[in-house]
Amino acid sequence: MTAAPASRVPSAAPAAKVAAPPRRGTAWMRGLAAQGPLFTAAVATLVLLALCAVFAPFVAPHDPETIDLGNSLAGSDADHWLGTDQSGRDVLSRLIHGARTGLLGPLLVVAVSTVLGTALGLVAAWRGGWVDSLLSRTMDALFAFPAMLLAILCVAVFEAGLTAPVIAMTVAYTPYVGRYVRSVAVQEKARPYIESYRVQGWSAWSVTTRHLLPNITPNIVAQSTVSFGYALMELAGLSFLGFGVQPPTADWGTMVNEGQGAILKDAFMPALAPCAAIVVAVVAFGIVGEGISDRIAKRER
Amino acid sequence: MRLLRTAALTAAVAMTAAACSGSSDNGDSGAGAGKYQMSSDTPAGKGPVADATWALFAEPQSLDYLYAYDFPPNTVLANVCEQLLRITPDFSIQPGLAAKFENPDPLTWVYTLREGVKFHDGTTMTADDAVASLQRHLDPANASAWVGAFKDVASVTKTGPMQLTVKLTKPNVLFNQQLAASPGTVESAAYLAKAGKDYGNPTGKVNCTGPYTLDSWSTGDSINLKKFDGYWDKNLTPAVDKLKLVFIQDPSARVNALLSGEVDGGYMLPATSYDKLAASGSGKLYFGGNSGTYNAHVANLGGALGDVRVRRALSLAVDRKGVVDAALNGYGVPAKAPAPAEAWGIAPTTGKAAHDALPPMTRDIDAAKKLVQEAGAAGKKIVVATISVSPEISIGANALRQAGKDIGLDVELKAIAPDAYTALFTDPSARAGIDLLITSGYNMTPDPLEYYGTLQSGQFPNYGDWKNEEYDKLVEQANAAQDPITRAALTVKLQEIAVRELPAIPLFDTPYTVFLGKRISGATPVLSVMLSYPWAAQLGSAS
Repeated sequence: MTAAPASRVPSAAPAAKVAAPPRRGTAWMRGLAAQGPLFTAAVATLVLLALCAVFAPFVAPHDPETIDLGNSLAGSDADHWLGTDQSGRDVLSRLIHGARTGLLGPLLVVAVSTVLGTALGLVAAWRGGWVDSLLSRTMDALFAFPAMLLAILCVAVFEAGLTAPVIAMTVAYTPYVGRYVRSVAVQEKARPYIESYRVQGWSAWSVTTRHLLPNITPNIVAQSTVSFGYALMELAGLSFLGFGVQPPTADWGTMVNEGQGAILKDAFMPALAPCAAIVVAVVAFGIVGEGISDRIAKRER
Repeated sequence: MRLLRTAALTAAVAMTAAACSGSSDNGDSGAGAGKYQMSSDTPAGKGPVADATWALFAEPQSLDYLYAYDFPPNTVLANVCEQLLRITPDFSIQPGLAAKFENPDPLTWVYTLREGVKFHDGTTMTADDAVASLQRHLDPANASAWVGAFKDVASVTKTGPMQLTVKLTKPNVLFNQQLAASPGTVESAAYLAKAGKDYGNPTGKVNCTGPYTLDSWSTGDSINLKKFDGYWDKNLTPAVDKLKLVFIQDPSARVNALLSGEVDGGYMLPATSYDKLAASGSGKLYFGGNSGTYNAHVANLGGALGDVRVRRALSLAVDRKGVVDAALNGYGVPAKAPAPAEAWGIAPTTGKAAHDALPPMTRDIDAAKKLVQEAGAAGKKIVVATISVSPEISIGANALRQAGKDIGLDVELKAIAPDAYTALFTDPSARAGIDLLITSGYNMTPDPLEYYGTLQSGQFPNYGDWKNEEYDKLVEQANAAQDPITRAALTVKLQEIAVRELPAIPLFDTPYTVFLGKRISGATPVLSVMLSYPWAAQLGSAS
């Protein structure tokens, strides 16, 4: 019987002999929790937004799309806490429902671009040589296309809505993730424990997926969290410009657009409320991302 | 007829349509009652002004009169180029560059040009220039936006040093009337040949006969006009030496520029700003006549709207007053017909009376539900195009959606990107999948046949290709009727059919606006003036 190549048969035995890399487990999470009240508030905000998005139909006091033209631009009262927009729709209800598209779009962009970018970054870092050069130059080329312009182009080719901008933004964000992952993976790869695994016959796949990737995951999570905020802002921008989520669907960017006209009538809430929601969400994601990054930096030290 | 075009434009625009007045006897109206007063003019300019600034809501794409099918280019060209005939502020047609025009037989129009008219380059206008200018519309390679006005033209020929003759294939009264608008523009033949493809763009510019010359065009910023000293009409000698037309697309920025005095005036302000402008003390807001109505044009008769009962149901269910209140801030009235009373310039008494005699389009949800049931259309889908940057369109679309919801129709909104909205009116493929379009069709001439003629089968703006034999025959008869009263009587019948069959569902009428700051006065708050009359030549100092 011929033994399988050692490189393809990761076994627990050699792993046990390797000096294990620093583990990021519950202690690391506890460290995160100790980031301070701002971080905690940001996390709470994001949780609240996520809950609003998931339970919008149960939380929103009114149907976000039902118009009441006789109640156009009504001020705040017990029935409409944030007043109504020009079509008489409840601003608060649209804000709550807007969290759905507001979070879903960036979630898709970040999830897909993180998976693709991580895969590309790891391959580039691990293989090096011409593979690294090819992937890196390809990612550089993709950098030439600003996300917004790519999204507008996609909308022109397909049609306005959430799908085309999400695809375009995913394409635009993937090289960012790829380049970042390559960068941290190259550093991680240079650590002794990686070489130890390789010497002991672990396959590239096994070392990468079982050790390298888990060890750089916090970095990727930090990067993704910040990217989430950027993606949210850009998708809202596209909706504001009329290229993203389409009326009458409640969406923060669309709401800002629709609320503009009311400013001339000194009715600020229809535009101000979604603006505030976008700012709060982006800042919260930024704080959480920064918090995770800080924790990683402390760990590295 | 021309169409409210794009989003950028509509966003900025706000109000262009309609022939409403501050009060109405329409029982369903009242939205605008007492809220504003109509003016036929503003106080005359009192003296010379070295320079003034005027706000345009968008930059013209071209100043070639062939493509002047939109508000910005016409607002500029009205002062720079002139036509064979002229639409006056009182909405009548008078001789323009043609000192006289004759109609020796129904198929012939003869125009005798005015002597001594100079182009801006100092050359003298002759029949060669007029023939060359009109013939450009006939050349398919030029793709003139005004080709419809020339659909019955057989030939345009020079019949004397200062005379040209137009032969028609069939009687067409509207052709002559439309020579008072862009189709009748006269440009120097030599300049057209010299400028070639650059004609009308920032490089090639234009060289016409108007009271202002096109001094410079700073792309993305402004167009600068300069008083033309050699202008022939001494009654319209400009008092403002230099007029800068600045492009301010954002409605809020435009309003703020007016309020701060950064610009001296502007047409077509956002309805949402009326209260603020009127109360500002920075100038005065004037409301004037408008020759168009906002309608929901049927773009597809292959779906649910192919059944007239469904069109009637939707018309019965839509909350017009609500739209006027919410989108126009109450500055308007629910429409009664697809063309307003103000459009009846040729028969102001009988035409307006016929319009006013139309029953109000009252809301009746129960009757609408019944019609939907009778038509077996319950649950059927109707797609309405909308643009978020234009409140009068987006709120109108929301109202149609709610109307559908109320009566059992599945009305879906399809948002169109701002820059793509224009394509809906020029490219049939862009309308694929869309059943209703909200737009303002308005008359350039004093004859409402101009609008109603566009609903004839086969006409370009008949988006849904609506066909009605009786209607088509009446359009032909009206177009052949030389007598305005006879033509108006035929057009009244067209109005009746249009209101009954609803190829376009009337929504609302709204006044036309101009804001004048404290420095200048004299601009006429009338749509046709802004588009075809040298309005800037009337400007002068306010004190």
